[in-house]
Amino acid sequence: MATAAQRRIKSVSYAKYGYIFILPFFIVYFIFALWPLLQTFVLAFCENGTREPAFIGLDNFKTILATPPENDFKAMGIHETFWRYFKNTLIIWVGNFIPQIALSLLLAVWFTDLRVKMPGKGFFKVVMYMPNIITAASVAGLFLALFGDSSYSVINTLRGCAMTKEEIAAAGLTAAPEPWKVITSVWGSRVLVMFIQVWMWFGNTMIMLMSGIQGINESLFEAAEIDGANSTQTFWRITFPLLKTIMVYTLLTSMIGGLQMFDIPFMLHTGNIINENIATIAVFVYQMFHSNFAKPSFGYSGAASVILFVITSILGALVFYVQRDKDAIAKKKQRKAAIKAAKAKAKGGGFSI
Amino acid sequence: MNKLKKSLALIATLAIASTAFVACGGDSTPANDTPADTSKAADETKPAEETPADETKPADETKPADDTASAENKIAETGDKLSVLCWTGDDVEKMIENFTAANPDYAGKVEYVNVGSKGQEAREQYANYFAGGEDADLFVLEADWILDYINNDEYTAPLTDLGFTTDDFKGCYDYTVSIGTDKNGVLKAASWQATPGGYVYRTDLAEEYLGAKTPDEMQKFVDSWDKFTETAKKVKDEHNIAMADTLGGMWQVWQYNRANAWADKDNKLVIDDFCKTYADLAKEYWDNGYVTKEDQWTDGWYQIGQDDSTMGYFFCTWCLGKGSMLSNAEGGEGGKTFGKYNITAGPSGWAWGGSWLALSPKCDNGQIAHDFVKYFTVDENTAKDYALFKSEFVNNPNAMKAIVDEGSNKNDLLGGQDQFSVLYEAAGNIDMDGKITAFDSQIKDAFNGAITKYVKGEVASYDDMITEFKKEAAKIEGLTVE
Repeated sequence: MATAAQRRIKSVSYAKYGYIFILPFFIVYFIFALWPLLQTFVLAFCENGTREPAFIGLDNFKTILATPPENDFKAMGIHETFWRYFKNTLIIWVGNFIPQIALSLLLAVWFTDLRVKMPGKGFFKVVMYMPNIITAASVAGLFLALFGDSSYSVINTLRGCAMTKEEIAAAGLTAAPEPWKVITSVWGSRVLVMFIQVWMWFGNTMIMLMSGIQGINESLFEAAEIDGANSTQTFWRITFPLLKTIMVYTLLTSMIGGLQMFDIPFMLHTGNIINENIATIAVFVYQMFHSNFAKPSFGYSGAASVILFVITSILGALVFYVQRDKDAIAKKKQRKAAIKAAKAKAKGGGFSI
Repeated sequence: MNKLKKSLALIATLAIASTAFVACGGDSTPANDTPADTSKAADETKPAEETPADETKPADETKPADDTASAENKIAETGDKLSVLCWTGDDVEKMIENFTAANPDYAGKVEYVNVGSKGQEAREQYANYFAGGEDADLFVLEADWILDYINNDEYTAPLTDLGFTTDDFKGCYDYTVSIGTDKNGVLKAASWQATPGGYVYRTDLAEEYLGAKTPDEMQKFVDSWDKFTETAKKVKDEHNIAMADTLGGMWQVWQYNRANAWADKDNKLVIDDFCKTYADLAKEYWDNGYVTKEDQWTDGWYQIGQDDSTMGYFFCTWCLGKGSMLSNAEGGEGGKTFGKYNITAGPSGWAWGGSWLALSPKCDNGQIAHDFVKYFTVDENTAKDYALFKSEFVNNPNAMKAIVDEGSNKNDLLGGQDQFSVLYEAAGNIDMDGKITAFDSQIKDAFNGAITKYVKGEVASYDDMITEFKKEAAKIEGLTVE
């Protein structure tokens, strides 16, 4: 027979408060994340040019992916734009991710190395993280001022493109040099976007990798040092293999973020027309449903989003596959084989006698 | 004890939950007020709308239903402030300043609300803004996309609701009234400005290079496009200076002089001789350096006005006021070329854009809204005041005529020249009837994108450029491209 106190304890279930506390998150999540997500999939199969679209099946995907018929300018325009932007996305992501991870890894290793007693570590960490704090709009404005096509951008002024006639005469030239058109050139603008992305994100990646390295048991590094391993050996034999999980995480987040890159490619241009050499899939999605206020093309936007989602999923699965723990899998197989063998032994025990 | 814990937990939860929704609510007070007010206003509107319509029948005027002298303001004065929505304060803030100075009773009762930072942005955001609970009484529309709004009764109410009759706008330039009229013949928006443009040039350089001492003498060098090109070649070859500011500026002059609208009645894209003529000219000007290679709306655009990179700019009325583009191009007061510009009509008459005041269906300040619209568009005297106050070319030929005759306008940016006397005639010739479509801003972007590629040699031939243009334009929903 339970006492009154025992009974009371039993009746108080704190689990319920837990649910109540997390409820706000789920409400917000369902309204602002899950529902729009599902809606995107629905819209991908709906018509364009109206705010109440009807179902049209796979037509949007066909327009975007299939080779358009001759003289169908609409299909040609959408198809070509999508693929051009898709190519841009991949180029810019690769060109941004590789230097970024290399730079971050190098700095992370230096900052965490026991032997390199670098003064002012905290200061550098803050400074390197800083670009990430600036809003993308300001960054785009800054780089337009620095590398703009205008004769009066910083880089072109330094080259003398903005010289007045008197200055040109004084310098013994006939004319000021032609300004560099970084923003409108194909590779100039792409490299610039890659650079901006690296510059903005390497601090963030570095801090993530540093936390990964700091998570490695310090005694391993000490042991390596005592055994006489040099820093290259330590890095390749200890740091790198043990950093794998955090590397997979970085790779995945960077990939998802990179494929959805929007802000800098969208803003790095002057005038009304978006720079098509750096525009990404996310820009395509935005343009499609924003370009015409009265008749938004939700269908193409939705279809492009779904295609992007499928690509992201495939690449994500690929990363997991490549980075899977082969030892663990091999061990699991071994264990299974051993159990099988043991079972077989137990079953067929009679024969061995 | 237990109860206390429970209630504490509940309170904490509610507190967290409520913060999660803070962003959605916005300012809750107007949100609660406005829907009630609008529904009231809407209820009042309906029966009232029918009565004047009945009255007009004997007069045999069916189209503008409210065209009677007995029009009354159907919108009650219930809101506390008149909100005027725009994407820039350049005009609206000056208008409010001028309006409240003349009507001290309304001081502090009119406010400017910023929606977006570009016309194109405002175009998208107005609809969202209306859907929210915020106050919106009047809002500004741009020529390029005005049709989206005035042809949609959800977003704009007829100006007759404020008690205006179409007769009230007889004093305005006709083209502004016809653009502000929707497809059913209902007047939905009124403009406070007419926007003719001219060629603004450096007086010192014109005298030195061409020997032109007055605007009239300068006009002889630029009075047709052949002449303009000839002069451009001369100044480029002899003095290495561009004749006009940017390709974008030239485009504004040319696009106004198109003979056809960009889309026909069936919403089919129209590609005519204009495209070829302009493409050739643009390429010639770009390759030979008759225009600078800067872009409009950048710092470089203003710099070229100060360092002898260009002879002049294509500017229209709203580029010439205080704190405007011309002022920037001169480096502001005390700048290097301050007051060293004059205006002349240039090779062809043209107009650039224009802004219209439209009435939001949610308007709850009928009286102030009426007075505000009247002040700037209907009343000749106050329009004249504003013209002199801001150096604005107001939408009232009589007022402008009076100013020109009096010679009371002296623009310091133009060295004391009166730009209105040059532009007055051009304003009378503005003809945009049937030339604007709802697709204009996007079609123009598509065409200019293709032109840019063409002049830079990224597309090889004119035909390739047109294909490029078609592909881009075809993406516009509702437009047919063949």
